[in-house]
Amino acid sequence: MAGVATAIDLTPETPPVLLDHLDTPTVRFWASLAFLAAGSSALFYGFAQQLLHGHAVTGQGSHGAIWGVVVANIVNFIGISHVGIAISAVVRILQLKKYQQLARLAEFVTLASITVAVMNISMDVGRPERFLFNVVWYGRYHAPFVWSCTVITTYVVGSSVYLYLAMRRDLYLSSVSAPARRPFFRLMSLGYRDTPVTRARHNRVVWWLAVVILPIMVSVHSVYGYIFGVQAGRPGWYNPFQAPYFVLGAIVSGFSTVIMVIAVLRKAFGWEEIFPGRIFKGLGVFLGFVTLLYMYFLFSEYLTGRYASPQAERAVFGDLLFGRFAPFMWSAVLGGMVFPFALLFIQGVNRKVCSIPMTVFAAALINVAMWVTRALIVVPSFYHPMLPWDVAPYTPTFPEWCIVGGSFFMFALLLLILVKTFPVLELPEEHEDDPRQARSQKMPVWKRLVVGGSAVAGLSLVSFGIGHRASPEFFHPPAIWLCGIVTLLSVPFLICVLPERAKTERRAPIRAVPIHIGARRAEVGRYLAVAAPRLAAAPRVGPHR
Amino acid sequence: MSTTSSRRGFLTTLAGAAAVLAPSRRASAEPPAVHRWGMVIDLDRCTGCQACAVACRAENNVPDAGPTNTSKGRSIFWMNLLTVSEGEYPVLRQQFFPAPCNHCEDPPCIKVCPVGATTRSSEGIIQQVPERCIGCRLCEVSCPYTRRYFNWSHPEWPEEEREHLNPDVTPRSHGVIEKCLFCHHRIRAAKTAAQADGRSLKDAELRKLPACAQSCPAEAIVFGDLNDPESEVRRLSESPRAFRLLEELGTRPKVFYLREAKWQE
Repeated sequence: MAGVATAIDLTPETPPVLLDHLDTPTVRFWASLAFLAAGSSALFYGFAQQLLHGHAVTGQGSHGAIWGVVVANIVNFIGISHVGIAISAVVRILQLKKYQQLARLAEFVTLASITVAVMNISMDVGRPERFLFNVVWYGRYHAPFVWSCTVITTYVVGSSVYLYLAMRRDLYLSSVSAPARRPFFRLMSLGYRDTPVTRARHNRVVWWLAVVILPIMVSVHSVYGYIFGVQAGRPGWYNPFQAPYFVLGAIVSGFSTVIMVIAVLRKAFGWEEIFPGRIFKGLGVFLGFVTLLYMYFLFSEYLTGRYASPQAERAVFGDLLFGRFAPFMWSAVLGGMVFPFALLFIQGVNRKVCSIPMTVFAAALINVAMWVTRALIVVPSFYHPMLPWDVAPYTPTFPEWCIVGGSFFMFALLLLILVKTFPVLELPEEHEDDPRQARSQKMPVWKRLVVGGSAVAGLSLVSFGIGHRASPEFFHPPAIWLCGIVTLLSVPFLICVLPERAKTERRAPIRAVPIHIGARRAEVGRYLAVAAPRLAAAPRVGPHR
Repeated sequence: MSTTSSRRGFLTTLAGAAAVLAPSRRASAEPPAVHRWGMVIDLDRCTGCQACAVACRAENNVPDAGPTNTSKGRSIFWMNLLTVSEGEYPVLRQQFFPAPCNHCEDPPCIKVCPVGATTRSSEGIIQQVPERCIGCRLCEVSCPYTRRYFNWSHPEWPEEEREHLNPDVTPRSHGVIEKCLFCHHRIRAAKTAAQADGRSLKDAELRKLPACAQSCPAEAIVFGDLNDPESEVRRLSESPRAFRLLEELGTRPKVFYLREAKWQE
């Protein structure tokens, strides 16, 4: 395979900057790692306090806020996780070349933030040690929490497979040309061979995976909407609108986070040319658009809640708009949505304005406002129970703020580790593959059996689990259908990763008689274009064996 | 062992496996329950003395939260007194609602519990299994009556109270939900006693079975079997004075209140 290895001789064409961030860590890296790790320890400090003294260390209470800022934080991080794959899948499906380099960074944002969200969930429940096992083993199909467990597992596994397959070629190239840790990349690329056939197969599989992942991603945040939206016993929540509302909120906070992350990384790694101002402008326009849409949703919700609705709803929204939550709500809406929207609007409509600091500033404001909005979804409802109980006012305590603040550090820490470990920027393909060469080769019988077998096994496990949903104590259906989902999602992985003997060209000799090029005058240019790089590469590559 | 019998054994095993693997539809076909426990609380008799709440704490080993946690709304009350004020100052009326768990026929809390820690018994009691509970507090959030309580800290009792803990009821640990169970340990004891005597349960012995009903000096709380057409609780629940809390939600509570004047929420 020497021919293949040398065929992607990166040094002349690849800008060295694409793989530079994989170099041996410098003092600056270790310093930022230590800083972020120190910040993340706050997360575990808050968790330890809860574990040792019970949730009494928080400001919550049964006749008070039953959920607090940690739940708002969970919603926030689930929301951020939403957008990574969204950007990546949309870039792939719509072939937005301009934003291609954004895709993998956004996927890393997804993985980091969903990890933090799951950590937050397990820290918020009263019994973290039984939480995961009990939900999977004794799960009830009618509980929103079990839906959430199912969709999050699907999302994490699906997006990891997606991320891996989309990254596999770059891992392989890194094992050839990265400045350090080449054996690691060789191991990670799992025997990838960079041939037109593999490239085409990976592209096709990843495209389909993107199509499948988009609805999963919508479902993840919808379920969080349903957790609130199906509670008829809490005024202010019971609302069929909750799911799309949460999905939109996720898009807003996710995009603003991605903008901030890119702004930091382009400074840190010197990627100014890869992420130029126009990318920020484009993202800013979209962010402004979804922020506007979110404000419209907010207005619609507040109007419905305050107009002539049931007494309890009126009380909650009155408290939100004019009562004790009004300062938070109005500063979030005016300072964190209307004002940044104005900035982004000015930049969007004006050809001359293209300012990265302004976009990042607007994104930061929107991010803070979204967090506050989430807290304002969770907390005010608890102040107005259906029956006139006395309610203890809720003030988040130090351990709660530790969990919230530490989560952001943890997010940055995970992201830093991911960025430093894996190639973030997509390495360009030298030239478009000749479609004839890239024609997918048939898989051998044993591989077809394995792939088809996993698909059938996955489907039957899922249907078996769903079929036995009514007897959770005996069959443990969530465990079964989760196994099924993981098996199903292994199908694209197997298609790409299972080794396959590269077929030697058995195509019939093209023509015994050379084509007289003059006979197809119109195609001369195309022939030359296709042949040129190969002709140029020929002396470097040497004869194929 | 002959081939035939082993083959038969194998076939039986297969049939058994098929029966086990086939989706069972038998769950819905359970026989109608003999009992359907319910409670009637006569507000016209209630004096608001809170004896029911005190008796309930002692009976069910409800821990003492202490002043700080109580001010934060973290104290646990399986039976609590809801105070409702009507009208403005000169014509002000206050009404006490002794509030146990309503044991709804269609409770929102069971649907949202992810692990089946809260279930409805065949006799209509909404049970709670603290050992299964993960403490996500979704049931507490979903209960429109706020009749479920989370253990915000490790359970503690004053020294003198610790000697009087009820051996029939297990104390709950921190991080789980607990709630009123209609003193199901007393129901079980009464059933066992009746079974030993070879008779069925009598309404007279059920009337004051739970600790709250037993302790009520005004005899405002009546417990019993709603399925029994002769029982007092059934008769009172059909009284024109009877109403239930938040009936518009459709949860169909099995705790009825009696009051002459209409109650406005």
